Amino acid sequence: MSEMALPTTDKRTKLRIANREFRQELGMLMPALVLLAIFLVVPFLLSFWFSLTNERLVPRPVPASFIGLQNFQRVLSDPSFWNSLWNVIRFTLMVLPIQCGFALLTAVLINQKLPFRNLFRSLLFLPAISSMVIVCVIWSTLYQFPTGPLNSLLQGLTFGLAGPVDWLGDSAWSMPALVLLSAWQAYGFQMIVYLAGLQNISPELYDAAKIDGANAWQRFWHITMPGLKQTHVFVILITTIQAFKLFTQVNILTQGGPDGRTDTVVHYMIHSGFVEQKVGYASAVSIILFVIVLAVSLVQRRLMRDAS
Amino acid sequence: MLKSGFLGKRLLIVAALAAATAATLPAEAKTKITMMHQGTADWVQTYKQVAAEFEAANPDYEVELIYAPHDSYNEKLGAAITAKQLPDIIELDAPFLANYAWSKYVVPISPYIDPAILADMTASNVAQGTYPIDNKLYAIGLADSSIVLYGNRKYLEQIGARIPTGVDDAWTREELEAVMAKLAKVDGVKWPLDLFRGYGIKSEWVTYAFSTVLQSMGCDLIDRKTWKATGTLDSEPCVKATKMLQDWAKAGMVVPQSAGTNQFYAAGNPAALAMGGHWFYAEAQKTMGDNIVVMPLPKFGDKAVSPNGTWIWAITSAAKNPEAAGKFLSYFLASKTLRDQARSQSAYPGLKSFAASSPLYAPGGAMAVAFDQADKTAVARPPHPAYPTITVAFMEAMDTIFNGGDPKKALNKAARKIDEEIEDNAGYPPFGTK
Amino acid sequence: MSASTLLQKFGWRRLSRLEIVQLVSLTIIAIVVVSPLIILVVASLKPDRFAILADMGSMRAFWVDDPTLNNYREILSFDGALPFGRYLVNSVFILLTTVTGGLLINSMAAFVLAWGQMRGRAVILSVLIALYIIPQESIVMPLLVLVNKLGMSDGFSAQILPWMASPIYIFLFYQFFKQVPKDIVEAARMDGASLFRIYWSIFVPLSLPVMATVTILLGIDMWNQYLWPMLVTQSDYARPISVAIAGFFGQDTVFWNTAMAASVLMMVPVLVFYLFFQKWFMNSFAGAVKG
Repeated sequence: MSEMALPTTDKRTKLRIANREFRQELGMLMPALVLLAIFLVVPFLLSFWFSLTNERLVPRPVPASFIGLQNFQRVLSDPSFWNSLWNVIRFTLMVLPIQCGFALLTAVLINQKLPFRNLFRSLLFLPAISSMVIVCVIWSTLYQFPTGPLNSLLQGLTFGLAGPVDWLGDSAWSMPALVLLSAWQAYGFQMIVYLAGLQNISPELYDAAKIDGANAWQRFWHITMPGLKQTHVFVILITTIQAFKLFTQVNILTQGGPDGRTDTVVHYMIHSGFVEQKVGYASAVSIILFVIVLAVSLVQRRLMRDAS
Repeated sequence: MLKSGFLGKRLLIVAALAAATAATLPAEAKTKITMMHQGTADWVQTYKQVAAEFEAANPDYEVELIYAPHDSYNEKLGAAITAKQLPDIIELDAPFLANYAWSKYVVPISPYIDPAILADMTASNVAQGTYPIDNKLYAIGLADSSIVLYGNRKYLEQIGARIPTGVDDAWTREELEAVMAKLAKVDGVKWPLDLFRGYGIKSEWVTYAFSTVLQSMGCDLIDRKTWKATGTLDSEPCVKATKMLQDWAKAGMVVPQSAGTNQFYAAGNPAALAMGGHWFYAEAQKTMGDNIVVMPLPKFGDKAVSPNGTWIWAITSAAKNPEAAGKFLSYFLASKTLRDQARSQSAYPGLKSFAASSPLYAPGGAMAVAFDQADKTAVARPPHPAYPTITVAFMEAMDTIFNGGDPKKALNKAARKIDEEIEDNAGYPPFGTK
Repeated sequence: MSASTLLQKFGWRRLSRLEIVQLVSLTIIAIVVVSPLIILVVASLKPDRFAILADMGSMRAFWVDDPTLNNYREILSFDGALPFGRYLVNSVFILLTTVTGGLLINSMAAFVLAWGQMRGRAVILSVLIALYIIPQESIVMPLLVLVNKLGMSDGFSAQILPWMASPIYIFLFYQFFKQVPKDIVEAARMDGASLFRIYWSIFVPLSLPVMATVTILLGIDMWNQYLWPMLVTQSDYARPISVAIAGFFGQDTVFWNTAMAASVLMMVPVLVFYLFFQKWFMNSFAGAVKG
């Protein structure tokens, strides 16, 4: 086709071309928009509608009906919901320092010009490519009670003083145990992010500091840390949002127990919607979850802007 | 060039997969029976074999087995129902029957099953498959189930414990607690009693096993006349019963959840007693031989109670050809292959002919006491359509209680949850009205 | 960082005391971090679940006297009691179709948004960016009801279609396409090339780096999906390997031997890809983060 190349001013031809172009653009745009509409927008809107009804996962002889804000009332007055929210916050507060601290430590180390640094980087990133399901298989054997690797290690290090710990079954230890395995699985991403951040810090700053006689610790504290300010904000908020979606480990390893100590918002939602089949109720939880994630994201944007 | 080759390969794979799917479609129209089931690998293998044998004997029929994993089986069934993909035959856990029958997912089964097999059913088998509203049989199984108290003979002899011989002289709570206290001091005993908390906190085991303790001590999960849980599940006897279990756990008398389910027969026999299902016998016997004593469940309160109910088979309302489904089920239940597998798992007979060929449960057999016990003391879990919620609520309460929470509060929370669910469903008519 | 400096790093040289300390700590950290994976592989070669548990408490967890492939033999079937061959193929099929479809659909949409002429593109773009904020977790319950009602449950389509189009990947492509100089597009237009033609023969070849990033991110995401396939699959037919492995935990007894072998099976394809495209992996994650 060479219509476009011809210096034609014929309006109808132009219109025809414009029409054809429009149809083509629509054809290229539509698959994505249609899929997003059906599988993202419609369910999202449905969740608002369901949250106002007593819709069930499986149709039953008693039909679903509009019940106003009753689901929200029940969710917000259920101690188990608040417990799951508190657990997520506890998880976040524990996982943040461990995961991000370890990520930063490893990132700083492999950022040095040490021998085999690429090999180390590859090895250290391995957990990050392991699926959470596999991580659960591995760590539930590590956490075996009373005779598992971690308990042997603990008893060996303390010369038998510290007894075997029921890592996943003890209400005091179950959450820290989940934190540890989650941090192991996910720190690799943060490590890569920190590595990118480190490489953005100008080497001249370090050279200048060396000339001024600053030791390694001072250089880290006065150059590296401030240089990573934006990275910190980003890493912390991404980790927080991830923590709010915590589900797989909980569902596979502890099912929210013992005594609800590892129940999370998403697990609570799936339990009420899927196991108890109260889709209306679960939808109310999902909207609350959405509002929380939205709030965290807005805070993130704000902080990112301030940092840069 | 390289890229298009790569893409080409992908397409090839897709095409190959499509071809493979097409090849498995039946060439001609046979009567197709679909059956949804759960179970461990050995059972899956057995079902496959029985289906193959049936197809060989009845060339006009084709059986398709749909395996759904044991965990969240009830939810999987729910999804199949919504999607209108309900198979012809489903395996279901007996206490859920009332829910499925109320929801009209399953149909009365008697017209479709070989009368000889119906006549062969034990009373407890009939009971677990019957829907109380219309008193019709909706499901049938080869087996039933029970829980007994297993003891380590060596340990018990060491402390000179009295070994009950039948249901009538079962241990009382005081006797059990005295034995446990003595066992705790025996060399090699880490935990006097395994309550199989290792099955998990969201396992039907919790309700199956511990509701009998409540019932023995004079209360229940729900009032079976008014169908209200508040005032029953959180009543004083229930609080006392669960407090007892809590105290045992607190005192380190009970195998903790994470220690697994094999402490009774694991190397060194760390657990001395085990309140375990009939299926546990086959598992433990392999390593312990004659060192196992099978005793009736203790009489915790005024009356002896034991549980019943297991995984049984029903024909769904979606079955286009229920006669064919019934024909297969009849064949299935009579199958020697199935019975051999069941026997190897110390299955608890639910058919008289199967009992006759199960020396384990015959008078003088190691598990005879279990058979006797079911006759005299079995209490079914509440046959109410709200059972899925009843059991979930009770599991949550037991999780709290075992971990040191206040029993009264935990049970009250569970009771309110159950009552709320029943109210939300307008009392599950006609249940509220009867 | 140039290739020559990379090479130099492998060459030995005199290390300062600080560097020796760093190297030693790095070695210890790497051993600790990788050891769970070693335990996994070793355990999968042990004869049965009892041996695995018995050895777990000691250094024997890192060693197997009589390695056997029996655990693999037990699960590697398409039709047996543990058809992990089938689950693996299911996962691969779901991944390949989603990624292939996702690459095409998202890049096409992004291209129209970046260089099309239809009105309302800016509005669509901002709506898409707003949609990005909706987490998968908060729509799964209604989505499950929807998919069940559409009769798609327990099949492949329910696992593929919902995740093909994604605001984040459209945005990634959009950002990249926008960087292409306007002259190139206009020159092609003057030559009479249709929009699809411009997309297919100019932009697609140009966008291989983004394609790689989306392939890796979406691929990893699909491979690791657990919540959604758990909700939407009932039978073996379309069950992915992740859900099947998690199923080991739902039983009264965990068969550690087969669970370990199945985990290794699930890990291997990712590992192979990772070894070959390591740099792409790291860049994708770091890049996605900035975007």
